[in-house]
Amino acid sequence: MNAGMIRVLLVWGLLIFLGGTEFFATDLPFERCWRPLIMVPGVLMVLVVVIGLMEVRKGPVIVRAFAVAAMFWLFVLLALGSADPLTRTNHYVPDAHVK
Amino acid sequence: MSTTPADSVRISARAAAGSYLTDGVTLRSWLLTTDHKRIALLYLGSITVFFFIGGVAAALVRLNLVVPQGLLGSAESYNRLFTLHGVIMVWFFLVPAVPVTLGNFLVPLMLGARDLAFPRLNLFTWYLFIAGGAITLWALFVGGIDTGWTFYTPLSTMYSKGHVVMAAVGIFISGFASIATGVNFIVSIHRLRAPGLSWYRMPVFLWSIYSVSVLLVLATPVLAITLLLLAAERLFHIGVFDPAIGGDPLLFQHLFWFYSHPAVYIMILPGFGVVSEIIPTFSSKSLFGYKFIVWASISIAVISFFVWGHHMFVAGTSVYSAVLFSILSYLVAVPSAIKVFNWLGTMHKGFIRFDAPMLYALGFIGLFTIGGLTGLWVAALAADVHLTQTFFVVAHFHYIMVGGMVSAFFGGLHFWWPKITGRMYPEMWARIAALVMFIGFNFTFFPQFILGYLGMPRRSFSYLPEFQVLNVFSSAGASILAAAYLLPLAYLTWSLFHGERAPANPWGATGLEWQTASPPPTVNFVETPVVTCGPYAYPPPETVHQRNV
Amino acid sequence: MSSTVAHGFQYESASYQAQTAIAGMWLFLASEVMFFGPLILTWIFSRHWNPVGFDAGGRETDLSIGTLNTFVIVTSSCLYALGVQFIRQGNVRWMILCCSATLVLGLVFLALKFGVEWPEDIAHHLFPTAAHFKITGSTEGGARLFFIFYFVATALHGVHMVVGIGLLLWLIRRAGRGDFSSGYHTPVIVVGIYWSFVDVVWLTLYPLIYLIGRGP
Repeated sequence: MNAGMIRVLLVWGLLIFLGGTEFFATDLPFERCWRPLIMVPGVLMVLVVVIGLMEVRKGPVIVRAFAVAAMFWLFVLLALGSADPLTRTNHYVPDAHVK
Repeated sequence: MSTTPADSVRISARAAAGSYLTDGVTLRSWLLTTDHKRIALLYLGSITVFFFIGGVAAALVRLNLVVPQGLLGSAESYNRLFTLHGVIMVWFFLVPAVPVTLGNFLVPLMLGARDLAFPRLNLFTWYLFIAGGAITLWALFVGGIDTGWTFYTPLSTMYSKGHVVMAAVGIFISGFASIATGVNFIVSIHRLRAPGLSWYRMPVFLWSIYSVSVLLVLATPVLAITLLLLAAERLFHIGVFDPAIGGDPLLFQHLFWFYSHPAVYIMILPGFGVVSEIIPTFSSKSLFGYKFIVWASISIAVISFFVWGHHMFVAGTSVYSAVLFSILSYLVAVPSAIKVFNWLGTMHKGFIRFDAPMLYALGFIGLFTIGGLTGLWVAALAADVHLTQTFFVVAHFHYIMVGGMVSAFFGGLHFWWPKITGRMYPEMWARIAALVMFIGFNFTFFPQFILGYLGMPRRSFSYLPEFQVLNVFSSAGASILAAAYLLPLAYLTWSLFHGERAPANPWGATGLEWQTASPPPTVNFVETPVVTCGPYAYPPPETVHQRNV
Repeated sequence: MSSTVAHGFQYESASYQAQTAIAGMWLFLASEVMFFGPLILTWIFSRHWNPVGFDAGGRETDLSIGTLNTFVIVTSSCLYALGVQFIRQGNVRWMILCCSATLVLGLVFLALKFGVEWPEDIAHHLFPTAAHFKITGSTEGGARLFFIFYFVATALHGVHMVVGIGLLLWLIRRAGRGDFSSGYHTPVIVVGIYWSFVDVVWLTLYPLIYLIGRGP
C-alpha cells in the first residue's frame, strides 16, 4: 500500500461524496431554469477524475494543454451555440400537433 | 547573415544507398508501409482520382448551365451532380489534399525526424480514407443524393430519396482519418523536433500544419456526431430536428456549420503554409514578418471556430446572434490580410524568379485576395440578404478554394516534386499550365460574381434567359480550366520516367528537407540534423543581386 | 531501465516514446470531448424549446439503475488506477486482478444498462419513435425529445464502453504473457486514461439524464 494507492482510495471517496451531494441536490427546490446547477457537483467529479486518475500531473506539459483546450472548446461550443436559442423568439404555431 | 543556407545545418552529406522509392518494390511493401513518404504517395494517388471525379461532375454542372432550361433536362440529375461535386471535392480532395500528401511527406523532414510520432496509425488513416471514399462514391453513383453537400434538414432527413445514410457513413469513416492525421501531426511537432529546432525556428509550413491539425482534431468530431444524428433521424425518424415534436431544424445547421466553417479553414490554411515556403525561395529573401505570419495562422485557426453563424444569416436566427457572428467574421479576415501583406513584403526588393511554383503562388495571392474580400461582402448582413444563395457566394468560395487552394496545391506539388520524385518537371509546360489555369479560372468564376449580384440563384438547374451570356462565358472558361488541370497530369507523369534527375536542392531553398537527397532515403537523414539558425536564412538582398547579375 | 526497452526509431528513448503515447491519447480524447459536446448542445436546445415536456420525460428514467451504474463505473475507474499503481511496482498479478475487476464492473454496467434498463424503458413505451408513447398531450414532444437524447447518448457511451472492454481484454492477455513490467507498461496507462474518460462522459450524462428533470 503506497502513497499512490492511498491517493486512488481518496479519489474514490471524494467521488462517492460528490456523487451523494449531487444525488441529494435533486431534491432541492430549484426553479426549472436553475435546475442545471445540479451539474456543479457533477463537473467537480469530472475534474477529480481528470486530475486524480488521468495522468495530467505526471505526463509532459502538452497533456495539460490538451486537457485545458478540450474544456475550453467545449465551452465555446456550448456558449456560442446557446446564443441562438437565448436570443431567438419562437412564434408558437397554434395548430401544430404531435402525430 | 554571412552563412549560406547549407552551412546552417551540420549533417553528414554522405548519400545513403538508394532512396525510399527503391526500398522495397513489392505491392506489399507499399500497401503495408509505415514510411510517411510512401503513405504520402498512396494518398496522392487517391486524392488525384477523387479530384478528377469531382472535376467531371463540375464539368457536367457547367455543361447543364449553358442553356437556360438546363441542358441535362432533369433537375434531379443536376441536384445529384452538384451534390457529388461538393461532397467529393470538400471531403475527399480539399480537406485532405495538402496535409495528407505534402504534410505527410514533409513534416518529419522539416522537423529533422525519421518519421511521424505514430507511423502505423498513419497507414491506418489511409485505409480509413479509402474505405470512406469507396462507400461515399458507391452512394453517389448508385443513385446519388440531391441534398447538396450541406445535407440540410428536413430535406435530408425526411424527403430526399437519395442514399443519404450511405454517404453519411462514408464521410463519417473518412473523418476518423482526418482526426488521426491531426493527432499525429500535433504530437510529432511537439515531440520530434530536431536538436536546435525551437518553435520560432520552424518553417511556416509546419505552423500551418499545426494550425490545421488543431482544427482537424477539434472540429471533425462535431461533424461525426452531426452525421450520426442525421442518419438516426433518417433511419429511425427520431425527430430531434423535427419541429412537429419540438425539435429544431436550426440545430442541425448549427452543428453542421460548427464543423464546416473550421473545415473551410482546414482547406485553406495549408495553402497559406505552402505559399509561405514558395515566396521566400523564389524571392531569395527571408519571409517578412515571420512571427506575424505564425500568429496569424494560429489566430485564424482559433477565430474560425467563432464565425459559423454567418452561414445562417437568413435561416431564422435572431438579429443579435447574426450581428455577433458578422462582427466575428470581419475579425477573422484580419490575420489573412496580414499574411497577404507579409508575402508582398517578402517579395519587395527580393530577387524574383518566375518558376512554375512561384507563378502558382502569385496567382494564389491575387485570387485568394479577391475571394477573401468578397467574403467580407457576404459577411455584411444587409448585403448577405441579397447575395446569399446566389452565385455570388459560389464565386466567393471558389475563388478561395480553387483560385486559392488548388493553385497552392499545384504550386506545392511542383515545388516539392524534385524532392518527392527525384525528377525535375518540364518547366516550360508547367508555366504554361499555371497561366492557362489562371486565365481559365477567372473566365469561369468572375462572371459568377456578376450573375450572383444580378440575382441568379445557386443550385438551380435552370435559370432566367437574361443570364445566359454570362453562363456561357463561365462554362467556356471551365473547359479552359479543365485543360489546365489535365496538363500537369500529363507532364508530371512524363517527368517520372524522363525528367531530369534532381539535385538535393534545385531551388536554392532553406529548410531541412532540402539538406537531404532527392528523393530522400527511408530514414530521411543519415544523421539527425542540428539546427543552428532560423528558417529562411537567405543572404541579404544586396549580396544576392551581386551574386546573380 | 529504459535503455533495455525497445523503442521506435524516431524516438530518442523508450520513456520519451511512452510520454508521447500518453500525449497522443489525451489529444484523441480532446476530439472525443468535441464528439459528445454537440449532444450536450442538443440537450440544451431540446430542453430550451420544450422545458415542461423535456423534464416530464426526465422523470420517467430509472433513477436506481442510473445511480447504481454511476457507482459501478466510478469504482471501476478507481480499481483500474489501483492496477496501474501495482504495475508501477512491478506486481503483474495484482495488476491483472485489478484490470479483471474493472472488466467485470464494466460488464455489470453494460448488463444493467442494456439488459435491464433499456428493455424496461422500451416496455414502458418510452422509445422515442413508439407509436403510442407513454406521455401524451402537450408534453409529448418534449418527452420524446428527452428520450431521443437518452437513447442516443447512452448508446454512444455504451459503444465507447464496449471498445474499452475490448482494450481491457487485450491488456489482460498481454499482461498474462509477461509483456509488462515496472519498466514498461505504457499501454496500461494509456488504456487507463481512455477508461477514465468513458467514466467522465458518464459523470456528465448522469445528471443530464437522471437528475435535472426530477424537480420536486
